[in-house]
Amino acid sequence: MKLLALMKKEFHRFFHDPRLIVTMLLPGIVIFLLYTIMGEMIHAEPETYDYKVYLQGESFVTSLIGVAAEESGNTVEWLSVEDMDAAKKAVEDGEASALLIFSDGFDNFLEGGSPADSVVSIVYDPLEDAGTSFYALSDAILQQVGRRFEIHAESVATEANIGREVMQQILPFIIVCFVFSACMSVTLESVAGEKERGTLSTILVTSAKRSDIALGKILPLSCISMLGAISSFLGVALSMPKLMGISMGFLGKYSIGSYLLVFLLIISFVPLIVALISTVSTAARSVKEASAYTSVLMIFVMVISLVTAFLPAIGNWAVAIPVLNAVVFIQEILAGGLPVWQALVSVGANLLYTAALVYLMTRMLSSEKIMFGK
Amino acid sequence: MDDMVDDMVKEEIVRATDLKKTFTLSRKQQKIERTGETRRVAVNGLSFSAYRGEIYGLLGPNGAGKTTTLRMLATLIKPDGGDAVINGYSVLKEPRKVRDSIGFMTSELKLEGFFTPDYLFDFFGAMHGVEKDVLSARKRMLFSKFGIDKFAEVSVKDLSTGMLQKVSLVISIVHDPAVVIFDEPTNGLDVLTAKVVTDFLAELKAMGKSILLSTHIFSLVEKLCDRVGIIFDGKMAAEGPLEEIAKGDLEKSFFELYRGVKGDVI
Repeated sequence: MKLLALMKKEFHRFFHDPRLIVTMLLPGIVIFLLYTIMGEMIHAEPETYDYKVYLQGESFVTSLIGVAAEESGNTVEWLSVEDMDAAKKAVEDGEASALLIFSDGFDNFLEGGSPADSVVSIVYDPLEDAGTSFYALSDAILQQVGRRFEIHAESVATEANIGREVMQQILPFIIVCFVFSACMSVTLESVAGEKERGTLSTILVTSAKRSDIALGKILPLSCISMLGAISSFLGVALSMPKLMGISMGFLGKYSIGSYLLVFLLIISFVPLIVALISTVSTAARSVKEASAYTSVLMIFVMVISLVTAFLPAIGNWAVAIPVLNAVVFIQEILAGGLPVWQALVSVGANLLYTAALVYLMTRMLSSEKIMFGK
Repeated sequence: MDDMVDDMVKEEIVRATDLKKTFTLSRKQQKIERTGETRRVAVNGLSFSAYRGEIYGLLGPNGAGKTTTLRMLATLIKPDGGDAVINGYSVLKEPRKVRDSIGFMTSELKLEGFFTPDYLFDFFGAMHGVEKDVLSARKRMLFSKFGIDKFAEVSVKDLSTGMLQKVSLVISIVHDPAVVIFDEPTNGLDVLTAKVVTDFLAELKAMGKSILLSTHIFSLVEKLCDRVGIIFDGKMAAEGPLEEIAKGDLEKSFFELYRGVKGDVI
């Protein structure tokens, strides 16, 4: 009986507080919306390629591959092999999508003749989207042409290249995670905690401008968060090459400009996250409530930062999407690109969003309902 | 007649004119108060004046509108109607100048436990834009007067309740405000800490400060106030010099007024 009363009390407290219900349901709604949008984007328009394929040997299968490629919106340009090593080098350098080699008498073998040890080799770079796509297409066609034979897939990617590619993909996501957790640890308590303890009202009674109070929170918290984020980032960046089996020497391949752009992207991203958490924290009635809201924010940010895993080719429109812009252009920089204007516009956009959040927080600090509502 | 002449000679430091404030009641509040009303008038056309160098007491039961009135005067919330002028500044038009003219103290305003009285005094001095040398001299004077100097470097969280109250009071007047506003200054305090507050108020009065306080404690009003305003349901039931309102027994006069307004039900 007492247990029942205790349980009823807990349920009553939960189901009679709309904010708690929203906090509990919001993660599911956010995940559903984001995954649905991502799914739509992934399946809406499959990526198309203009394959450049070196061809050694002859087979009617090439025409089948050509037809299949065209049906899915791709084109194939067959190149003849003058020098085998040069052709492999072209695949390795990304100048060609693949090298397709048919053993002598392959068509004869398919029609039931000999030799019985016929082989098809596909040389490609699994780190290149066009190469991977061509391999998948030609492999599917070859599996259906009749007699069994060996398909020999040869990757030109070295272990170091694969490690570097993984690092390029993962590092920006890890940066976002560390920046968010660094910002959360210092920001969450600072506003909602002060509000809960009544110390924020003590400041509101002074003649300090509400905008000064908002900036007085966001700017120092951004600096503190930046230190935490940089420390975590350096730890990860310096240990990941070891983890991936890459020589530290690869860090030297990036120019000062690349490092500067990454730094600028992080610098603009930190105050944005701090402003976002501060605003949510100002709206919350307690640290507990702010913590629940921030968890939802964290899911949102994590999902956005993982979008690149599902959408390999994101256009320049990413500059307008906070979080995504940092991830996309840091990835591009790590891949050896130097997207100067995209990175600078992203920095500008992030600062603009931060300014908008500062304004919103200022309005919230002036709102008697938010600051003194029960 | 003498009072009218007196009021003309005295300098008006606070003038509230027809102040109004209405709150929206949440469903939860409606349920608690068993009412179908969606709006509640907390303050309904309140007018009064307080004079320089005097203590003005707003007396009324819980829920009468005292805290709402003082919050409007402190510019923490905006009146829906009417206005108040403090030290020559309108709470509606010049809220920041009003905040620089007042010291506001309530049990709901707290100090960060991590910091020391010394640090907080300097911080709130900076918040009010007090010059450093002025602030330093004022700190020395106030800390010494109220015995805070020995605890100036002790974290607020480690101070005794009485000392913490003194520090809060001193910090509320860091900028030497023209008017000091105290909302229920002794509410929830033990007798010793309450005495710290009443002594502080007496000390401020001796220093010539103008004070506005809200309370439901008769003895506090009788002991300290020069003028008193009695509020029921957001309306001023009576206002004037303490002797005129109390007529020798403030509690008796209060309940006579209460019965006149609300009937016999208490």
